[in-house]
Amino acid sequence: MMRRFFAPLLAAGLLAGAAAHAEDTLSPLKFQSEGAFGSIDLAAAQRGFAVYQGVCASCHGMGALHYRDLQALGFTAEQVAGIAASVKLADGSAATPDSHFKEPAPVNMGGATPPDLSSIVAQRPGGTRYIYNFLTGFGPAPAGITLLPGHNYNAAFPGGQVSMPDVLRDNAVTYADGTKATKAQEAADVAEFLTWASDPNLSARHAVGLRAVIFFAFLTIVAVLTKRRIWRQEG
Amino acid sequence: MEAKQGWLASRVPGLGCVCGLMKEGRAPGVCWIAALPALLGALLAVLLASGAVITVYYNPWHAYASLQGITREVRGGWLVLSYHQVGASLAFALLYLHLFRILLVRGYRAPAEFAWMLWVKLLALLLLTGWLGFVLNGGEGGYSSLFNTSNAATTLSGFPGAVAMWFLGGQPGGSTLARLLVFHVLLALCAVWVILMARAAARKARPMLQGRVVPFWPVYAAQYFAALSALALLFALLLGFAPHWGQGTQNAIPAAAMAVPSISYPWYLTPLAGLAGVFPSVTGHIWAVVAAVALLYALPWLDRSKGAPPGRVYKLLTWLLALDVLALGLFTACPIGPMLPELLTFWFFFHFLVLTPLVTMMEAA
Ligand code: HEC
Repeated sequence: MMRRFFAPLLAAGLLAGAAAHAEDTLSPLKFQSEGAFGSIDLAAAQRGFAVYQGVCASCHGMGALHYRDLQALGFTAEQVAGIAASVKLADGSAATPDSHFKEPAPVNMGGATPPDLSSIVAQRPGGTRYIYNFLTGFGPAPAGITLLPGHNYNAAFPGGQVSMPDVLRDNAVTYADGTKATKAQEAADVAEFLTWASDPNLSARHAVGLRAVIFFAFLTIVAVLTKRRIWRQEG
Repeated sequence: MEAKQGWLASRVPGLGCVCGLMKEGRAPGVCWIAALPALLGALLAVLLASGAVITVYYNPWHAYASLQGITREVRGGWLVLSYHQVGASLAFALLYLHLFRILLVRGYRAPAEFAWMLWVKLLALLLLTGWLGFVLNGGEGGYSSLFNTSNAATTLSGFPGAVAMWFLGGQPGGSTLARLLVFHVLLALCAVWVILMARAAARKARPMLQGRVVPFWPVYAAQYFAALSALALLFALLLGFAPHWGQGTQNAIPAAAMAVPSISYPWYLTPLAGLAGVFPSVTGHIWAVVAAVALLYALPWLDRSKGAPPGRVYKLLTWLLALDVLALGLFTACPIGPMLPELLTFWFFFHFLVLTPLVTMMEAA
């Protein structure tokens, strides 16, 4: 009874919280997954999946993931089935929730192939922030830098020249939750999605870690006090 | 307790002896740091238990993918992998600390020289096991390290060549990791045996008890428990909030057919990697590693102090050596200038080959 009464209130509160949250995460840039108490921002990660699916998937695979794994982001089983059904595999059949993410046709751009993005956040120093900086780091090359053929200037990429083109722009995707799809928002959302993909257990790890730390901190204090008492008596 | 001990001891002599330890008398007021070997044993137990689970799901022919599978598909797999990673990190930290303490108090001299040699053997075992674990990850760094090592090993001849051939089986290929997995497990089991031997030897080498004696239970049991609990706290901190501390990002990338030019090792291998990297050619690296460990092993003979207590100069030099090793690891991971690893490596060998005999001889005089 209480539950039924409070649930809508709670949901409204969460929504308001989330909405307020979504507004100020870009300036200054903040990721909910960052820091010791960080957890995956599920709404952002859902939007990030939309960006991946709409923009990145044509070049980058994510072979370690299945469509069913998306349920961890809060998609319902029906939504996941719908997402999978809309993907046409290489042999012409539709994907199922148990399929791995579709591998795109291999491309070679300027001598580089697009890396698999399943664990990209764990594979780059700087992690989530690096991905964001990379995706928003494209621009005209500063004077004095001559670009190699087929390369683009990117301020975040080591060496400054990358063969991936600048693919994000405002409204590259339409967000289901009504968030304004600015270029920066898309970059931040896909970075959060990739953070989840690299470490699907991030939230659980922090929760387990926190509980274990509290428990052992308490136990250590008790153990040290006990030892002192025993040593005073016997030692 | 009494009755049980008698009952056990008459049937399983070894176990009865373990129960006897509980009542063993000890000198009062021993510092908690003497509990390090026991803590190390606890970490080895964690490593063996988590390792047993990982081995079940690990596939040496698809190393990287199978570890991804353990993290993503196996229930609780990510936690078990983290136990193994964090356990390895902390085991090295404790062993380095323990060796440093023995150096500082000159605990490697007779009659404890046998225990010291066992501790050095444990170091060698753990370093080799740790390197194998690094390789077994199937990441870019581990693969490159294996590639370089086995290439160099094929150039060795005679007995070293035969040993290397037996260990690595020639060029790295599909079955190399399967072979190395066996060694990883075998060496880990050997480490358990060595740590037990080392503890027994260290206990035998302890000076005779004089004056007041306190029982292990409950006096030292309480101390060990407090130390163990603090270790668990540290473990939980790393596990929850920094599971990849000191591991770098390179080995998270699946191995490609090409070796990378610069390998980043986990922190506990970096000092040794830096020391080895100073020498030309991978064969040179292998011999440098062997020489560094052999020097530690020979310490009871390099020390000419004949029982004199450690003096101020010796202690200062030992602290310098610790800083030297730390710096070697740090500047190997983040190189800042040329010649620095060379200088630090030179100091390492200079410390053992020249300074140790010289200073200990002067202090004994
Ligand atoms: C037109 C094809 C294409 C599209 C679309 C594309 N990429 Fe890339 N991407 C590449 C290529 C090619 C590389 C390799 C660049 C190199 O190594 O020079 C790359 C590299 C990357 C890297 C690795 C950078 C590094 O540090 O090595 C990341 C991260 C990345 N892409 C993310 C994305 C994301 C996120 C999207 C979607 C918003 C995306 N890409 C869309 C082609 C593409």
